[in-house]
Amino acid sequence: MPIHSSLLKKPRLVEKLRRFYSYVNKNNGQVGTKTRGIDLNLNNACNLRCKYCFTNSPKGDHVKDRLPLDVLERVADEADELGYFEFDLQGGELLLRPDILFESLKAIKPERFYLYLTTNGFKLDEKMAKQLADAHVSRVSVSVDSMNEATHDEIRGRKDSWRKAIEALKHVQNAGMDPYLNITVGHYNAFDPAFEELLKYSKDNNYKTLINVAVPAGMWSQMSEIMLDDKDREHLYKLRKDYKNLIRNIWNPFDKSHEKSIGCTTVNRLYITPIGDVLACPYVHIKIGNVIEQHLKEIVEYGFSIKHFNEHSPVCLAGENKEFVSKYLSNTGQTIFHPAKASDIFPEEDFLKKSDVKIHY
Amino acid sequence: MSSDNLNIYTDCFAEAFEVDKKTISETLEYNGIPEWDSIGHMTLIAALEEKFDISIDTDDIIDFSSFNKGIEILKKYSVKFD
Repeated sequence: MPIHSSLLKKPRLVEKLRRFYSYVNKNNGQVGTKTRGIDLNLNNACNLRCKYCFTNSPKGDHVKDRLPLDVLERVADEADELGYFEFDLQGGELLLRPDILFESLKAIKPERFYLYLTTNGFKLDEKMAKQLADAHVSRVSVSVDSMNEATHDEIRGRKDSWRKAIEALKHVQNAGMDPYLNITVGHYNAFDPAFEELLKYSKDNNYKTLINVAVPAGMWSQMSEIMLDDKDREHLYKLRKDYKNLIRNIWNPFDKSHEKSIGCTTVNRLYITPIGDVLACPYVHIKIGNVIEQHLKEIVEYGFSIKHFNEHSPVCLAGENKEFVSKYLSNTGQTIFHPAKASDIFPEEDFLKKSDVKIHY
Repeated sequence: MSSDNLNIYTDCFAEAFEVDKKTISETLEYNGIPEWDSIGHMTLIAALEEKFDISIDTDDIIDFSSFNKGIEILKKYSVKFD
């Protein structure tokens, strides 16, 4: 009998997923302007001090803010109407405040989304995993930096964080949710055998591996040397074919040849901060609206009117396009809480006419 | 023709999940192997629709919880297995 969080218990999700699949197939395997997912930073407080945190949580930035529940409820309803089918709750560390997490889940109504949490796993025990599965959470992604306990703990700034993360993945799997092991990859570790050790561990344990590429943002602001180069990217594509369980948001998840890029998913996957600002994605710290003040549809239309986000990019703008990063993401002090305003950094000619913006809900 | 369809049906599973055909048995259920997850499920549905030239309704996609249940569902779309 499938559990609550299973796809087979979520007819609305199946409908949206089919529309997405069908659109991408007809659109030459590209995501185009099809709505896909919401990444919500529910709360920025965290118990770890990761060296590369892109939200500046270790600096205590906006750790007390969160979206009012009525706004969250409206945003989730609007996202559902607009065809968004993924809902990624992240932070900060969500499991520091289970009370906030569970009342937010109630407001979002996860039964209509492929809803997942991104967590460091420190507070995810067997009981919590069961509660999450009962609350219709489909997947939990746990970030792991190394199979070497001391290395992981050093990067994360807290002893025992490796052991808890590894245990958390097992609890997720046992509770029947999809277990994802998240790895951040940049130029500094793409060829490191330690990276492949992680891939192997994930595969051997029947997890999926989510690859996040390192971006020069947050704690790594201005550090463009961490970005993948062509050789690194080629290597990742090779590993994708070898392992077959690797996922990147930019890769087509339905592509059995494991070689096609769906395209950069700016605006297709929006990022919402605890103060309601909407950024083009978690790593492109450019503000395109605010959900407290505007409806999501208006924000999506505005976002896709910007040619950089409307046109197909086979690489991740924030993690692989050095020219884009240098021009638009390298302002001093540019963070998720102090994003650049799209209207300030893009010239008028970068905006498409309203009649030329065709969005696929 | 009917045993051909069973073969085609089984091939769809093996191809969608990228596993050896021997892994696909009559007792296989959703989530019974790691490859039959949500992405695998939608890939399987797309493969079946293409091979049998049918369009499966949402209600049937969510009812499709096992290898055997899938056969029952495809029969509704005039795919013959007997």
